[in-house]
Amino acid sequence: MKTVSLILLFTFTLHLQAQISDFKTINFKKADSIALECKDEGLYNLPELSNKLTSPLTTDVEKFRAIYKWVCNNIANDYSLYLKNKRKRQRFKDDSIKFNTWNNNFRKKLFKTLLEDQRTICTGYAYLVKTLAELANLECEIVQGYGRVSTTDIENLELPNHSWNAIKLNNKWYLCDPTWASGIPNPETNRFTFNYNDGFFLANPKLFAVNHFPDDPKWWLMDKDIPTFEAFLTAPIIYGKAYENLELHIAPKLMHHVIKKYQTITFKYQLSKTTKPEDISLLIDSGFNNWKTKPTSASIKKKSLIIKHQFKTNGFYDVHLYIKDDLISTYTIKVKS
Amino acid sequence: MKTQLKLLQTQTFKTFGLIVFMLFTLVAFNPVYGQTKMNSAAKASINERTIKGIVSDDTQPLNNVNITLKGTKIGTTTNEKGEFTFPKKLKTGDILLFSYLGYEKQEIEINDKTSFIKLVLTEDLIEMIGALDSNKPYKSKRKKN
Repeated sequence: MKTVSLILLFTFTLHLQAQISDFKTINFKKADSIALECKDEGLYNLPELSNKLTSPLTTDVEKFRAIYKWVCNNIANDYSLYLKNKRKRQRFKDDSIKFNTWNNNFRKKLFKTLLEDQRTICTGYAYLVKTLAELANLECEIVQGYGRVSTTDIENLELPNHSWNAIKLNNKWYLCDPTWASGIPNPETNRFTFNYNDGFFLANPKLFAVNHFPDDPKWWLMDKDIPTFEAFLTAPIIYGKAYENLELHIAPKLMHHVIKKYQTITFKYQLSKTTKPEDISLLIDSGFNNWKTKPTSASIKKKSLIIKHQFKTNGFYDVHLYIKDDLISTYTIKVKS
Repeated sequence: MKTQLKLLQTQTFKTFGLIVFMLFTLVAFNPVYGQTKMNSAAKASINERTIKGIVSDDTQPLNNVNITLKGTKIGTTTNEKGEFTFPKKLKTGDILLFSYLGYEKQEIEINDKTSFIKLVLTEDLIEMIGALDSNKPYKSKRKKN
């Protein structure tokens, strides 16, 4: 009996330690190919869909992966619904009766569109991920809050505008964003294009916190350094590609900077994949013209990236960081003598 | 020699005693198990029955609600009038899982008296919101000269 409990204790301890490495040993090929095989399944029979996606898989993380990947690959983002909802919510924000009536009617319309056309907005994605996960006996939650991207009015986020998911795997909560992972609107036509971004799957909560502010603070999944709403609104803009290239965005913490001529500004990141210093470039926009340039210095040691750049002429610049062709983040820098 | 025989006799006696004890155990415990098993099997076959029902929300019948027998793939959906007839005969203790996109899932356990299920599903009262990600580079608003 003593031996048994010792073995149990040992396995349990091992199990807990394994969480730190966070599924690095798991290959998602099988889960991804199952998600692909189920491409033509509609949403009319969710228990069956969930079963098809998860029953050939043994681990919870793979089961969740198949569900998440299926949703990202098969549900389109409805840009016009998004715009309409945004307009109405803004218009009714001081009239709670009209606001609630709008929400109720819109919810019905949204679920109908999701079911029949497989198109939705964020909450629809998060809702579907949660529903399918729960049907597979996984613990999953919808997180409501604020998402901050380059095209939202970044200084004035008045109403919650975004939903994502938290998923419990091996007794630990993780974050993911199926909406942003599914694709982005074409910058010219604004028409949604499927373009899966793997960076939003079980993302580092500290990176997530740069542009996701949950309504309920328990979904930060961080013990310390929890940003205030003001800090959140003044943080740099990071893009979807940041999630594919970075583990952490360390410095600067602010979006807007005022510096003296010839002063140097320092940027710090933790990379998530192998990158060479020559892959780093800055796109600087002065308002009159823009140019791509190499930073004054860029060094990478053990995936820690430090960039320094000196500004030699007065002006007001939008500075965009690129790793190869991936747009990572944006800062504004005012240089004066 | 005599003592050896006596020893053998005692041993045989001991073994015999053990066998008797084991037989007793078998008799004592086995029938109880056998009986309960037979009982439940008999009960189940008597009680197995076709379950019908109707599913609606607070305003109207719901078409295409999924109904599954928990733990299996056996299931059906409601028709336009919200009605269903479950394809497998069910017994007391079986659980039916009702699911419909946008409504709270519900589980109904079949009891001795269940034959018709009238179920009202409640909407998931979630606030629908959505912002899209963008890879459009941020552009500062600048004063025009």
